[in-house]
This record gives sequence, C-alpha cells and structure tokens, in this order.
Amino acid sequence: MITIFGKKIRLFRPRSIWLRKVVQFFFFGFIALIAINHTLVESGGGIPFLSTASLHALCPFGGVVTIYQYATAGTFVQKIHESAFILMILGFLLAVLFGPVFCGWVCPLGTVQEWVSKLGKKLFRRRFNNFVPAKLDNVLRYLRYGVLAWVLYMTAATGTLIFAEYDPYFALFNFWSGEVAVTGLVILGVTLGLSLFVERPWCKYACPYGAVLGISNLFRVFSIRRVEATCKADGACNIVCPMNIAVDTKTTVRDHQCISCLECTSEAICPVAKTVVFSTPLPKNAQTLPVLNPRGSK
Amino acid sequence: MTLTSKPLAAIVLVILFGGILFTTAMGWWQTESTKQPAKFITGEFSGQANPADIRGSYTFGDVENNFGIPAATLAQAFGVTDADPAAFPVKNLETIYAESELEVGTASVRLFVAFYQNLPFDLSDDIYLPESAAELLKGQNLTPEQAAYLENHTILVSVAGSDSPQPASTPAADSPSAPAPAAEATHTTDESDRAIKGKTTFGEILAWGVPRETVEAIIGGPLPAPSITPKDYCLEKGLSFEDIKTQLQAEVDKVK
Repeated sequence: MITIFGKKIRLFRPRSIWLRKVVQFFFFGFIALIAINHTLVESGGGIPFLSTASLHALCPFGGVVTIYQYATAGTFVQKIHESAFILMILGFLLAVLFGPVFCGWVCPLGTVQEWVSKLGKKLFRRRFNNFVPAKLDNVLRYLRYGVLAWVLYMTAATGTLIFAEYDPYFALFNFWSGEVAVTGLVILGVTLGLSLFVERPWCKYACPYGAVLGISNLFRVFSIRRVEATCKADGACNIVCPMNIAVDTKTTVRDHQCISCLECTSEAICPVAKTVVFSTPLPKNAQTLPVLNPRGSK
Repeated sequence: MTLTSKPLAAIVLVILFGGILFTTAMGWWQTESTKQPAKFITGEFSGQANPADIRGSYTFGDVENNFGIPAATLAQAFGVTDADPAAFPVKNLETIYAESELEVGTASVRLFVAFYQNLPFDLSDDIYLPESAAELLKGQNLTPEQAAYLENHTILVSVAGSDSPQPASTPAADSPSAPAPAAEATHTTDESDRAIKGKTTFGEILAWGVPRETVEAIIGGPLPAPSITPKDYCLEKGLSFEDIKTQLQAEVDKVK
C-alpha cells in the first residue's frame, strides 16, 4: 500500500474476489453430485452420505411458485416440498441482509454462465458484454419481471410446476435423464451460447428468481457504497460489473440487477482502498473526509 | 459496518447450511413427498384422500395405502409386470407407455383411482386409460358421465417390450370391433396365486374376471366397495366366510 497524492493505493491487489469463485465452485459441485446421486438412487445405486433429493426439492424458486397454493389450499405444488419453502425463506433472509447474494455466490446456473463468459471475454475483449444497445438493454432488463408474473400465474392456474419445462437450471443438472423437456434444453443452450457475448444473459433478462431477489436491492441492509471523495473515477468498477451497472455514478448501488458479487469493490478491482465498499450506510462525513478529489470539486 | 468477501462467504454458508441443519433438527426439512395426498375438505367425501393429488413419485404401494386399491390390481390395470408391483413408481408408466401417442401416466392413475373408488374427479381434461384398466372399471358403479368419458378415453396400446401387435394409441371407442390383446398380454397376476384369502378384496376378484353379477349372487346383495374384503363383508353381514370363500373360489377357478 502506498500513498500517492493523498490516496492510499495498493500496488498488489487481487483483481477478482477469488473466494466467491471457490464458493461458486463448491455449490456447483454440491448440486451436481446430488443430481447425479438422485439418478443413481433411482437405478438402484447411490453415493453414501449424500442427499438424494430431487433438484426441485433444492430450488428456492420452487418455494416462491408454491406460495399461492400454500396460502389458498395448504398444499405445495406437485414436486415441491418443504425444503424448497425453507430455502426460499433462507434466500429471502440473505437478500434482505446482503441483496441477491444467492445469485452472485450460490446459483450454479450463474456460475456456469460466468465460466462460459470467460471464453467470451478472451474472444471479444472490450466488446464483450457490450453488444446489446443500451436502450434495448434497459428495456430487456425488465423482461424477467414479465417471466416472473407469467410463471406465478400459470403455476397458480394449473397447480403444476409449469416452469420446470423451461427451466435451464433444471435442464443443466438433469440433461442426462428423461425428465427434461426439449424447451428446457433449448433455453439452456441459448443461455450458454449468449454467455459468449453477454455476462449472465439469463440472470439479466429472464431469471424469475433473480427478479424476486433483485427487489431486495431497494432496501437491503448491506449495499455496495462508493466514497465519492476518494473515488478516482477511473471507471474500473463499471467495466468489471457483470451486470453493467454504472457504479461510479452512485454513492449507494440500488440497481435492481446488482448481484452482490463484490467485484467492483476496493477488495477487488477498485484501486483505492475503502472507496467502493460493501457496508451498511456510511457515516455522513465519510463522503468528505479525504484530502483530494480527483474531479477537483474540493 | 463494512463486510469483505471472507465474512460474507462465511455468513452465506452458515445461513444456508445452518438453516438446513436447524430445520432438519426441527423435523421441518422434507425433500420428498410424505406420500399422503391432500384430502377433500368439503362435501360428501370430506376427509378422504383426493386422487387428484397422487404424485408421480408414489408407488403402487403408496396408492394402495391411501386409496385401498391393491397394488396387484393397479399393476394389472396398467400392464405392469414387475415382480413387486407395490414398489412400482407411478411415474414409470410414462416409460413403459413411451410408444403411445396419447399419454398414459400419473394422470391416468389418478383417473383410474377416482373411478375405481367413485371419488370426485375433474373430467375437463383428456386423460387416457389403457384397455386393461378400462376393463376393470367396467365392473364398477360408474355414473353415465363417467362411463361415457371412459368409453371415449380408452386406448388400445402396447406396453414397451410387450409382444402385443397392437397399434399404439388407438382410441378404443373409434374401433369397437378391434380386439384388445394388449390388455390380456399385460395381465400379470400369477394365476396360481388366485386363491381367495382373508386379505383378498372384491376388487381383486373382479380383476380376476369373475362377473360382478356372479359375485353379487354369491354374497346375496349388491357389491360393496372394491377395497372391502369378503372376509370383512361376511363378518359385517353375519355370513359364513368359509362358505362364501368356497363359492367365490370356484368362480375364480372357472375363469382362470
């Protein structure tokens, strides 16, 4: 750490939150093993000491879609069990505290999209994640709320897990079984294909669970906060944000698409210490403390 | 208060796995169906299990436990040849009827159970039954509406792996003269096991081919619910189970 023109700048800093990638890999492997074990058990085998639950039982969005039936009939939508309901509650608890941290740290489908996107970044470099025109992108970002409304309505109307036929997450971990609908496989393929051009396309434009959790960005306890006084305005946080959020124009990120990945923070890409942080509301004087403002206003 | 990635990762793991451990300890964490369908909450059948809530994960044994239809009868109805029909998962019907153009699966079992036990069931959807199941239901007290639905939703279909030469998914009502060897080919009950015992139900006796009228003549009254055993019926009516059993067994032997 050195001080240049009054700013503390780290010479050697990680450019990414490596621990997030470890956690993502863990959950991907964990869910994959359980999905495989579920198949093995049905054919008489199985991995000892590992859950044999179906994927539906381990999906918090299953809890969301069954809320209506649970409230009106006291039962769960078929294939949904208490575990999904509990995971939904835990997901909401995490979201109230930390925002959609489930999306950024846990969801295996988000993880796979990030893995594919690494190839896209190498292929397209600066153009990667900037293919969609801004105006169109802004509109498309609200599409997932339409998907959410459709899924909730159809599930309530039919009493069946209608989304399973379209769910790329279910297709990802069941493509070897006969339970996956062709539509699910097609959507998974399209999602992975688009991940070469856009970071997390499913999360941005279509994920109904991301839509639910995204609302927590409006009131979450811990948020991404930028200390304007120490910000160099170099745009690094904007470039690294997988969800294309303009972090450097905000003091508190309330964007409904933030996934709490922390990649924009001073712990990762931001070169100035304690400038982009993940915190509860900062003290009022935090914005004016340091000596020099790169924009020259003070 | 500021958080970095390490405490955040720890908190995420603690909340998720701690929550799962806690709810497991409290007995709330369930990743499988309890195999107990929802019950009717109003009307004449209030408190009885609702066949519309039968899940694909249920086995024929689960259906037997909840609705009183013997697993062997279900196996016979749907052409299941497994040695242990009680362990057969309902959802596997889709596999063995994979060649059928019209789906025979979990919904078919729901329909069969509802008709077999005269329970209310929504008939607004098209649900199909194989000929073998329809044959068993013809012995039940179906309403005219149910009978008409059954006639229009019975298909002649071969089970995967069956030697039956039946074309797949031919609505039986459209070809009334067509024979139904598929149904016979799929009858799996070992004929040597067709001995009337204390646990044998009237439903099984009908399934073995004894005409309803013959059974009613022997017991001297209208046929009770198929899930009732002749033994229980005799006890209730003050009849000699041994006499009734002998007569019924003779009829069973005739149709073997």
